[in-house]
Amino acid sequence: MATKILILAEHSSGALKDISFELLGEAHRASADAHVVALLLGNGVSELAAELAKKGASEVIVVESPALENYSSDAYRHEILAAIASEDPDAVLIGNTPNGWDVAPLVAAGLMVPLASGCARIAIADGSAKCARKAFNGKFVHHVEIVDQRPIMATMDKGAAAPFDGETDGSVRTLEPTLDPGKLKSRFVETKKSESGGLDLSQASVIVSGGRGVGAPEKLDVIRELADALGGQLGASRAVTDAGWLPHEHQIGSSGVTVSPKLYVACGISGAIQHVVGMKSSGYIVAINKDPDAPIFGIADVGVVGDLFEIVPALTKQAKEAKG
Amino acid sequence: MKSLVLVKYVPDANSVFRINSAGTWVDESSLSFTVNDYDRYALEELLALKDGGAVEEVVALTVGPQAASSALRTCLATGADRAIHVRDDALEGSDPLTLARVIHQAIKDEGFSLILAGLQADDDNHTQLGGLVAGLLDYAYASAAMKLSLSGETMRVERELENNELQVVDLDLPAVVTVQTGINSPRYASLKGIMAAKKKPMTQLGLTELGMSPDSVGAGASKLKTVGFESPPKGKGAEILTGSPDEVAAQLIKRIREHAGVL
Repeated sequence: MATKILILAEHSSGALKDISFELLGEAHRASADAHVVALLLGNGVSELAAELAKKGASEVIVVESPALENYSSDAYRHEILAAIASEDPDAVLIGNTPNGWDVAPLVAAGLMVPLASGCARIAIADGSAKCARKAFNGKFVHHVEIVDQRPIMATMDKGAAAPFDGETDGSVRTLEPTLDPGKLKSRFVETKKSESGGLDLSQASVIVSGGRGVGAPEKLDVIRELADALGGQLGASRAVTDAGWLPHEHQIGSSGVTVSPKLYVACGISGAIQHVVGMKSSGYIVAINKDPDAPIFGIADVGVVGDLFEIVPALTKQAKEAKG
Repeated sequence: MKSLVLVKYVPDANSVFRINSAGTWVDESSLSFTVNDYDRYALEELLALKDGGAVEEVVALTVGPQAASSALRTCLATGADRAIHVRDDALEGSDPLTLARVIHQAIKDEGFSLILAGLQADDDNHTQLGGLVAGLLDYAYASAAMKLSLSGETMRVERELENNELQVVDLDLPAVVTVQTGINSPRYASLKGIMAAKKKPMTQLGLTELGMSPDSVGAGASKLKTVGFESPPKGKGAEILTGSPDEVAAQLIKRIREHAGVL
């Protein structure tokens, strides 16, 4: 018997999201005899179904309804549970994305099965699974095991798994929606941009960012002066924008903006996974932090372990001189 | 309207962490603990709703050892009206689903209209307890709230998505919502609050009070088991520069010119 793995495809604005292909890739790697089924919920999504069937799914199950046009936790919970009931998969993989982490625990509670969340890898065999997941915001890898459960349930971190890279000739079939739109407890209203002052860090070629290690809002001037000297923009980790030291639009990371400048200078930023996913593709990464074990040094090209209030001003001075 | 905030007592996120000798988690023996950062924002949302008159009672609940009562005392001092401490040695090692079952048992007859929790705990990062509790209660649910607005029996939630996008959803009460950090500016306990907290009720609930058997909880009953804990692979790792601030600055300028083409 093949190992049947159901993945939840995610899409927005008429296109499949990267996580869908990452889940397809991980599902194929998770078991030597994986039979990979993609579940696609939406309205008018037949083209997306055909794409999934070509890019990793052995089968695509489509549930279409006007109530599934946009994500809502209750509608998705209802149809995912219905699909699991009819397909009886060995495992269900969902993205650890804003919508994935929203619906996955509702489904797990509906089935009374455990959920391994935020996984980078999963291996499934004989009704059990071994997962490597992050803990302490990426400072540690937490290995967990789910023993003898049906289905195995896990959410996979965005960007952790390589997307499926072969071609498949999967089949597509339709399941009738079972939800009653009038009985949904949560309803989609709209998607909107967060308020911003027009700063677009995604196009910046040089970014100098400050984190929790900066310590106080008035001390950000030290970081700002280096950004000016390098002809760059001022960025920040979540700790800084949450504290209100800088507006949200300066925040770099999974919930803020994703950047890939030629030069990224991280000052007093430990390198929590939420920040790193937003800047790891930068061309050249400089890290300045007092903690030699800070994860930021794992992804930086060059680092200095020390007090940023000594190092950054020295760097600013020499950058100004270098520019002449 | 009665409201509940779920809080967790976690190691201070700014601690220096070491792996314990069993290789199963961090060594917690020398760490200082505090209220999980996300949960402080959840409590503040409820206190603000109470200030505005929409909520009559704010209850704080935690599951954890004796020391975790400190988290509840902080909540009471900050403005919560009463606290529930679920505590039993047999709960040690419970996975999120088991904890959700315990919390469900503790609150199912309370009739809370609104339950808030942090999006995740700073230590285990499970990001699921709120959703599990919502699922078990069959309440409406939304995660990662950046704004809440209550009108009648409907809670409008602005959920944080990626790339500076927000998703607006309406939930029918009763509902469970998890909140993101940055949704508000959490208040701190005043001296007056700390004094007043001493007179506020804190209920202790063990498995006996919950009518649950020790066999149904804890590491033994949990199907999500820890089998290892390690530092992540180092990756390529940065070249670490040493010297005086002026010396490392000079080396950095050289590398920035060569490798980034800046300056």
